[in-house]
Amino acid sequence: MRRILATTASLICLLALAACGDEDTPASGSSDPVTIEVTFSDGTVTPQGERVEVETGQDVELQITADEPGEIHVHSTPEQELEYAAGESTLTIANLDAPGVVDVESHTLDQVIVQLEVS
Amino acid sequence: MSLVAVVAQTTSAHGIGGAKDLPISPELAIAGAVAALTVSFTVLAVAWRTPRFDEATSGLPSSGLTRLVDSTAWRLGWRVVGFAIFAWAMFAAVAGQDLLTNPFFGMFYVWWWVGLVPLSLFLGPVWKALSPVRTINAAFAKISGSDPEVGVFTYPERLGHWPAAVGLFAFVWLELVYPFSTELGPVRLWAAAYLAVMLLGGALFGNVFYERADPFEVYSSLVAKMSPWGRRDGQVVIRNPLANLDTVVARPGLVAVVAVLFGSTGFDSFKDSQRWVKFVQGNDFIVSHSWADDLADNIALLVFCAGVGLIFAIGTMATGVSSGERRISLPNKFAHSVVPIIVGYIVAHYLSYLIEVGQDTLIKASDPLSDGSNYLGTGDWSVNYWLSYHPTLLANIKVGAVVLGHVLGVISAHDRAIKLLPQRHQLTGQLPLLVAMVAFTVGGLYLLFAA
Ligand SMILES: [Cu+2]
Repeated sequence: MRRILATTASLICLLALAACGDEDTPASGSSDPVTIEVTFSDGTVTPQGERVEVETGQDVELQITADEPGEIHVHSTPEQELEYAAGESTLTIANLDAPGVVDVESHTLDQVIVQLEVS
Repeated sequence: MSLVAVVAQTTSAHGIGGAKDLPISPELAIAGAVAALTVSFTVLAVAWRTPRFDEATSGLPSSGLTRLVDSTAWRLGWRVVGFAIFAWAMFAAVAGQDLLTNPFFGMFYVWWWVGLVPLSLFLGPVWKALSPVRTINAAFAKISGSDPEVGVFTYPERLGHWPAAVGLFAFVWLELVYPFSTELGPVRLWAAAYLAVMLLGGALFGNVFYERADPFEVYSSLVAKMSPWGRRDGQVVIRNPLANLDTVVARPGLVAVVAVLFGSTGFDSFKDSQRWVKFVQGNDFIVSHSWADDLADNIALLVFCAGVGLIFAIGTMATGVSSGERRISLPNKFAHSVVPIIVGYIVAHYLSYLIEVGQDTLIKASDPLSDGSNYLGTGDWSVNYWLSYHPTLLANIKVGAVVLGHVLGVISAHDRAIKLLPQRHQLTGQLPLLVAMVAFTVGGLYLLFAA
């Protein structure tokens, strides 16, 4: 039992060492926004569930081309709901302060557009 | 508020809560997998060769604790607490609005389903003490002058925990697959059906029904076996959690219970992974048939649960057995050893969700009718997101919990193997099970990495 515990303890220490490389970075907010082109046409949307890396505090700009108006649901904390018109428009997702994965969805189409990996 | 109203009326399948955890880094996932693998074989190589855990002798009896826990005041106190929380949830469910600000959702999916795990892990079988269905059943018995322990019929032994497995599956189906899981009507209906079945079962079979068939009591009492609190000859004992875990009774359906618990949590991670999202949204057939993505989710949940059960059954049965032992009985006799693996993965999967959405629910609970009231005085509190802002620490805790759960699982399986298997199969007979456990743990780490 003791030998198992010792082995486990040393492995957990190793694990902690291996994981301590990257420090938590504070929110910057100074960098330019990440731009994502989003196209709605014939009931489909591109991109489809792509991962996009975003820094904490950085804004995301969705450049939208749409054949019909609709709304976008951002699963940040708290959640955000953004509406767009037919034609070309730009939506800004702000307040991405907490690290985490934020789904950006079209509820009209029931599809995930992008997953923002905020870190 | 109008934003929330829009959200609540839409039909997309997603639970409550906003952002999800970041994936763990590949280095951390690999470090965890290597640790799990090394420990597994270390246990096999160096651990004891005669069984250590014995229900009849393990644990330190405490007469003081026994007196406290068995006192009427203690029992009644927890019944009142449990019933008060239940009544508050019912008030929100029946009189509240169909909005995500309704605390019923958080009480149902977060406090009840997730909160039960840490409570049971630290305090023992809490659902048994809090359960409003036991309270109602006891009240009925009191009024009619009968005994709540006794029903009209004897609970059939063959049924075991199968009804609980079905109930647990019904819960995870509602939470993870059903498209309207955050609309009030369906969740309320589920809760009403649960109540009805439990009250009927209690009337028919007495309290033994709750012990065997209430999905929440079975889950809670199973996790409570990893707490230091046990009983021997009616006395409360303080036990080594592993010795306590060894006292789980191998009833029919136990494997199904652990398979649903572990498989569904794995599916919950998997359904948010990019791979699954891209498959469901990119597959021509699924895109062109509106029912197909729901069907795909249903199939995937079933495959995850059945897959866990099957891998475990093969892992436990692929051994030589002594003449008195039936091979088919082995999966249930080893099923307790999956509990630490489940708990470790639940910690990894739900920790930030429980802490953050759990707080959010406490805030919302102060305004059950969504009319701006602050009945409990918690309405103006704010959620502490400290854990989310420390993603490296969170990732380390997650992997640590998974590895620790794996180690405890392997040790309990080892002790059971030397108790059950004939001498010459004791080590080789453990290998397939060890491989199954490593598969669970590595699979879990992969899902945390791919989430
Ligand atoms: Cu959404």
